[in-house]
Amino acid sequence: MTQFKRRDILKGMGGLAGLSLMGAGSLRTALAQGMASDEAWRQASGTTIQFISENTPPTTAIAANLASFQELTGITVNITEMQLGALVQKVALDFGAGRSAFDVIYADPYQVLAPYHRGLVDLNTFINDDQQPVVPKGIEDFIPSQLAAAGRFENEESLYTLPYDCPTMIWIYRRDLFEKYHDQMQQDLGFDPMPSDSTTWEQYYQIAAWFSNGNASEVKYGTGHQAQQYDSLMCDFSNVLFAYGGSYFSNGEQVGLLGTDSPGACQLTSDASLEAARFYQKLLKVAHPGSTSWDWTGVANAFQNGEFAMMPEWHEFAGSLEGSDLKGKVGYAPLPKGPARSANLWGGTGIGINANASPEKQKAAWLFLVWATSPQTQLMGLKSQVGGGTPTRQSVYDMPEVKAASTPPTDMPNMLTADTMLTAWQEGYIGLRPKIPQWNEVDTVIFTELSKMLAGQMSPEETMQSAKQRIDRIVGA
Amino acid sequence: MALLTGKPSARRQGFELAMMSPALLLLALITLVPFFSIIWMSFNDVSLMGGLTFEFSGLDNWQRVFTDPDIRSSWLISLFYFLATVGLEMILGTVMALLVYSLTRGSNIIISLLLIPMFIAPVIVGLLGRFMLDPSHGLYAWLLNETGLFDGNILGSVGPAMVAVILMDVWEWTPLVALIVLAGLASVPEDILEAAEMDGAKYGQKLLYIILPSISNILLVALLIRAMDAIRFFAIIFITTNGGPADSTKIIPIRLYDIAFRFFDLGYAAAVGITMLAFSILVANAFMKLLKRQEKRS
Repeated sequence: MTQFKRRDILKGMGGLAGLSLMGAGSLRTALAQGMASDEAWRQASGTTIQFISENTPPTTAIAANLASFQELTGITVNITEMQLGALVQKVALDFGAGRSAFDVIYADPYQVLAPYHRGLVDLNTFINDDQQPVVPKGIEDFIPSQLAAAGRFENEESLYTLPYDCPTMIWIYRRDLFEKYHDQMQQDLGFDPMPSDSTTWEQYYQIAAWFSNGNASEVKYGTGHQAQQYDSLMCDFSNVLFAYGGSYFSNGEQVGLLGTDSPGACQLTSDASLEAARFYQKLLKVAHPGSTSWDWTGVANAFQNGEFAMMPEWHEFAGSLEGSDLKGKVGYAPLPKGPARSANLWGGTGIGINANASPEKQKAAWLFLVWATSPQTQLMGLKSQVGGGTPTRQSVYDMPEVKAASTPPTDMPNMLTADTMLTAWQEGYIGLRPKIPQWNEVDTVIFTELSKMLAGQMSPEETMQSAKQRIDRIVGA
Repeated sequence: MALLTGKPSARRQGFELAMMSPALLLLALITLVPFFSIIWMSFNDVSLMGGLTFEFSGLDNWQRVFTDPDIRSSWLISLFYFLATVGLEMILGTVMALLVYSLTRGSNIIISLLLIPMFIAPVIVGLLGRFMLDPSHGLYAWLLNETGLFDGNILGSVGPAMVAVILMDVWEWTPLVALIVLAGLASVPEDILEAAEMDGAKYGQKLLYIILPSISNILLVALLIRAMDAIRFFAIIFITTNGGPADSTKIIPIRLYDIAFRFFDLGYAAAVGITMLAFSILVANAFMKLLKRQEKRS
């Protein structure tokens, strides 16, 4: 019986793979039809589950396509979308109450997974259960760095979430202006200004200063930043910190990838970290003055309004930029190199299952996880008119139609960043903040102290020293 | 007899207490239980994982409250903010009310227009403020820049950010003070004003010696209402600056929010919350005493 089910599921997998080659129009119906016969998919029919998510493009797309999941499984999914801060509060209180008001949880690796991983089901329970549908193409299909960063905590055995979205910071620039002023910039600056693998942060600074000096009438400033006293400031600074070889804790990549309960002493007073802080302060001096009051949305809006020529920004803003007056005028590249490397901060998230949910709801939740992160659903999301996001699976990027969409004109604007993203997620390019239970408090210290530095209240040295002292106190080092 | 003396009998008191007891019990449940829970929380480390758990930590949280330099700094910012908003609102609200009161025609329309800001949710006021002050497309930012008054980033600069959030609060709540004072002005004895006029008193003298003393009780009520509100002010700062830049607008409620709902350090948050409550009670008591003194005097 078990063998038969497994085979049956694998048949369904073949159908799923075939579906990936189909057009978007019939996809929803075909997905349901191709899998409706599978008993495994209907084992929790009639169950209603609650999914709490940040209001992100992938969830918007999934909400619009839920009918196909319900048709496939008979499971009703109620989606609650909200801002991440509010989500973390609700999830924490849900865990605190020992309840399961939400069965499927959008588990931010830093604010939910690290502090509350014990409240999430180890998904190996379902992955190793022959009665359950397998993850299409296996979990190996997920981008490896994302699987570890979004799904694991402290070890490589347990898996708490499946990668669901993957915003990553990249270099977004006005390609039209870079092309128009290319020769003049090259002559003035003495290097090729077009973003490339060899462009450094120091060159980024010089390009920014060149635009800020009024050399291009189209924009007032060269660069804009998300430097409000908020999480966005930590994100913006982290790209520079990692590029200069600095880190928040020793063994930083491991602390970022798998996470830890005890990260040890903060490393922000290292020479590399201090150099990064000095450079960041220098860079912000030539940036648009509005930078210190913008988060990621604010800086993207200002870029769209033609205030400056380039910015480090989450790649998911490509969708809105390509739908604006700047359509076709924007270029995307990995962030510049520092003395150590190019670092592109990753801000992805996985979805997991609340361990307090009843066994029946956990099964239904697992089916939803498999469906929501399947290549077909991610393709559907890419084509969605209401949302989108970016795939977390390699196989989606390998699909011919997705490959074709990475050059304009395209109906999948996020795919214009695909080449950049695939580079940014490689080891040596990806930037991972520390995955520790105390992250929220540490994050607050980082962006508060940086804000003081940008306000001119503290020198880079004082800033890093003060941040280290506070962080060491928080993590008990 | 009880009716004649105005004192209810013991039997009647027992009956009244019995009748009130369901409401009193409900009130106790929704106020006293959380209140004592918070006091208990402040002596514990509270964890949410695996169900709510308390680990007794003695006076640790309280020691932190009184030694934490961040809390001290937030209290100082709060006090400055409190004095600036309440002070400006009282002065501007009173002036506004006096001007409207002096109108002989169209006062109803003017009052309706003046009251509009206070009907807007503080969150929306914050969003409007953020939009209007945005350095790339904000109307006010543009006006200040064009007139040469300020060409920087208002919400991103240490002093101007505080001024901006104070003015947003003043814009929203000055009409409430004006409305209360306006109600008080209606009770100023006309005959005394007329007598003063007959004696040749100027407007300033009438204001200082007749009008303001007549409405002093009302002014204290307005002050009490606004003071209580200013202590727990949150939304506008949360939306516009989130306490920044450089913690320059991090008033105590924003700090408390971080401790409770971002760091989930609920024991410490309880201790900070209780200090806020104590401060509110002290301020309210001070105003109530003033009010009683005024009543006795009048």
